[in-house]
Amino acid sequence: MRYSADFLGKSPESVLVGLARTGDRDAYAEIVSRRQNWIRNLMRRCCRDPALADDLAQQAFMQGWQSLRQLEDPNRFAAWLKRMAINLWLQHKRRNDPLRDATPHSPGDATTEEQPAIAMDLDRALATLADDVRLCVVLGYHERMTHNEIVAFTGLPLGTVKSHIRRGTQKLRQELAAYLDINEEST
Amino acid sequence: MSIDPRIQTLFAQAEQVLDRDAFLRSVMRRIDRERRRSLLVWAALSIVMIAGLALLAPPVVTALEMATKLLPVSLVDIETKWLQLLLAPINTVAAAIAIGALAIFRFFRKILS
Repeated sequence: MRYSADFLGKSPESVLVGLARTGDRDAYAEIVSRRQNWIRNLMRRCCRDPALADDLAQQAFMQGWQSLRQLEDPNRFAAWLKRMAINLWLQHKRRNDPLRDATPHSPGDATTEEQPAIAMDLDRALATLADDVRLCVVLGYHERMTHNEIVAFTGLPLGTVKSHIRRGTQKLRQELAAYLDINEEST
Repeated sequence: MSIDPRIQTLFAQAEQVLDRDAFLRSVMRRIDRERRRSLLVWAALSIVMIAGLALLAPPVVTALEMATKLLPVSLVDIETKWLQLLLAPINTVAAAIAIGALAIFRFFRKILS
């Protein structure tokens, strides 16, 4: 049975997840459509390179489609997808030379958008952080997760998460001082 | 809390609205490709299995036939009818194989325990 685009567009995510679990491709396309911006931005903050970020986001959605039946609670789809995307990034980091992220990939067909200067500078600043520190900072600032949520997500001890965020924040303050000054002047 | 609200604002400002359609097309194309690939793998596996079964069926049937003929053969010919019936469960090739296997199993269990 095929549901209309209008019905899918108005359905809550948990319903779409339920339909996608039965193999409904259109329902999953609607989920991808709703979640793509969030997960792509998250991946951009993690890996700096927009083409790589889009590729990882696509892989996360593909993995999501393949293992959707393993998701016990459809309401937890977003957190489940985020974990998958972050794990893909960490796997990518482990497979590759740690210095590879220092220079961006040549842009592939996955993205053609111009990145705003603020996004590029933020990603450049984030790239100077160690992987664990960057992960904690991105989860804390981009995802607005609390320390305890980051502990539950990453499995790192609370003290480590706090020190990572503190150290990351200090580094970002140095790297992005110009933006912070402008923001302060404008407020 | 060591979260700096100014940096949080920067993260919010860096958030982009990205082109949805191209990305969606690309994801669904990859999903469809993966679907087709797994269908092809299943089809190929099925063909290999059917071909394998067709090739192996005659030798397997022959081996089974030989086994069914050989296993109930008596080890010792006993003339007396009642004694033959009494010893029938252990006086066969199958019984000898079973007893041998049991002995080997016990032997290994004893030396390994």
